Amino acid sequence: MEALLSLAGRLPEWAGPLLENLKRMIGWMPSLLKATQTTLLLSVLSVLTALVLAVFLALGKISKRKIISKPCAAYVFFFRGTPLLMQLFFIYYTLPMLIPALNIKSRFVAAWIAFALNVAAYLAEIIRAAIQSIDKGQLEAAKALGMTQWQTMRLIVIPQAYRRMIPPICNEFVMVLKDTSLVSIIALTDLTYQTKMIASNKASAMVYIPAMFIYLVITAVFTFIFNKLEKKLSVYE
Amino acid sequence: MSMIRTENLCKSFHSLEVLKDVSLTVEPGEVVCIVGPSGAGKSTYLRSLNGLETINSGKIWIDDVLIEDRDKGSHVNKVKMPKQQRLAILLELGMVFQRFNLFPHLTALQNIMIAQTKVRKRGEAEAREKAESLLRRVGLSDKINEYPSKLSGGQQQRLAIARALAMDPKVMLFDEPTSALDPELVGEVLNVMKKLAEDGMTMIVVTHEMAFAADAADRVVFMADGVIVEQSPPSEFFTNPKNDRLRDFLRRTLRKEE
Ligand SMILES: Nc1ncnc2c1ncn2[C@@H]1O[C@H](COP(=O)(O)OP(=O)(O)OP(=O)(O)O)[C@@H](O)[C@H]1O
Ligand SMILES: [Mg+2]
Repeated sequence: MEALLSLAGRLPEWAGPLLENLKRMIGWMPSLLKATQTTLLLSVLSVLTALVLAVFLALGKISKRKIISKPCAAYVFFFRGTPLLMQLFFIYYTLPMLIPALNIKSRFVAAWIAFALNVAAYLAEIIRAAIQSIDKGQLEAAKALGMTQWQTMRLIVIPQAYRRMIPPICNEFVMVLKDTSLVSIIALTDLTYQTKMIASNKASAMVYIPAMFIYLVITAVFTFIFNKLEKKLSVYE
Repeated sequence: MSMIRTENLCKSFHSLEVLKDVSLTVEPGEVVCIVGPSGAGKSTYLRSLNGLETINSGKIWIDDVLIEDRDKGSHVNKVKMPKQQRLAILLELGMVFQRFNLFPHLTALQNIMIAQTKVRKRGEAEAREKAESLLRRVGLSDKINEYPSKLSGGQQQRLAIARALAMDPKVMLFDEPTSALDPELVGEVLNVMKKLAEDGMTMIVVTHEMAFAADAADRVVFMADGVIVEQSPPSEFFTNPKNDRLRDFLRRTLRKEE
């Protein structure tokens, strides 16, 4: 930093403000990175919770029994058919009014629930599509070999379907990472909220630059990891 | 004593009657080829035998055990037996499909081992030994660790035959096993099947390969519109067909083959 500043004397005039801004951006970093932890934690927890829920929703939707499949289909329809932001408001503001026992005090928990419920609907469709993409002929072969339905699911369908789910699920995760910026609206201190605070308090719109940079780095890192994962899983195809 | 016996099998898909009172008996060690035009109900008949399709009415015996007995109209199976027992009886039937239906995420060896270990509950070593000897038998010893996608169509079908044989079936059902193959790969699959027939396996083969039927079958069955129209030993079937539709069918298919 000192070295940079000593350089400043020898640089053209326009470089002065640029350096000044760079210095400020670096100064904001600690608070931005701290808020980033919330963003990451919320994304990871939401997607993991959603995954568990989605497995049941997907199997439910595939079920031949209407009492099971219809409610699951309705769930998916509802959560994909209304804006995520509305769902967040509903859980944080409306639900406590309808059912006082469900007054979720923690903003983080409210956001977690809203995201988990919403993302589960999308993941359920991904999982269902992957399961149903397995060729019917293989199921018949399994049956002809005497496998039960559950054995067929466990030994034949899931091992193939899960490889097909990984890319779209990773994709969904990256979307969620970015979508969590919505929670700034209920004043949960995620990366976006922290950025807005700095922007209004310190009167500097410059803060959006490092903030977006952080989002970009995170998504790049995850995309890189997921690509590696996909390559590893596609051995036999 | 019969290996397979069906009496008045009927099967409809909605209003479409696909099987109309099909009665057929197959003796142990017999090789029966079923031929007939597309849509005759040949596949549906095979699939009814091993429960891939549920019949509407009729009776099915496997190895002299009655496993299906449904009256016209009621459609309820009157044979009550524990699920496990029924499963064990159906395991006496091995099936080979037109499109192979191998498990693409498993190697050749694993394809043959999986049902042995999980259904027949054999130990790893026993299943492996069996798989290796079957791969040798169908000429795929060098492909033991390959995934199906790395095999040619003919090799895939031979692997599928080995997979079915691993369960020690008493009867093998083949549904047009060579129809999805390039012409130059048909021979290797038919050879494996011929060897199997020579070894005394009871076989029901739905096929368009008239030369195979003439050569390997003990009896050829002509099916059309869900009915068995004619059946006789190949010598008679091909040289002295009685039914007009069969004559017509033979004329058309044999001309195509030339
Ligand atoms: N699952 C099904 N649902 C409705 N119709 C079916 C079904 N399976 C078969 N069919 C119909 O039943 C009839 C007989 O079919 P099947 O497959 O048994 O004929 P096939 O003799 O095997 O003909 P191919 O030589 O073309 O294989 C056909 O008209 C077919 O369209
Ligand atoms: Mg057919």
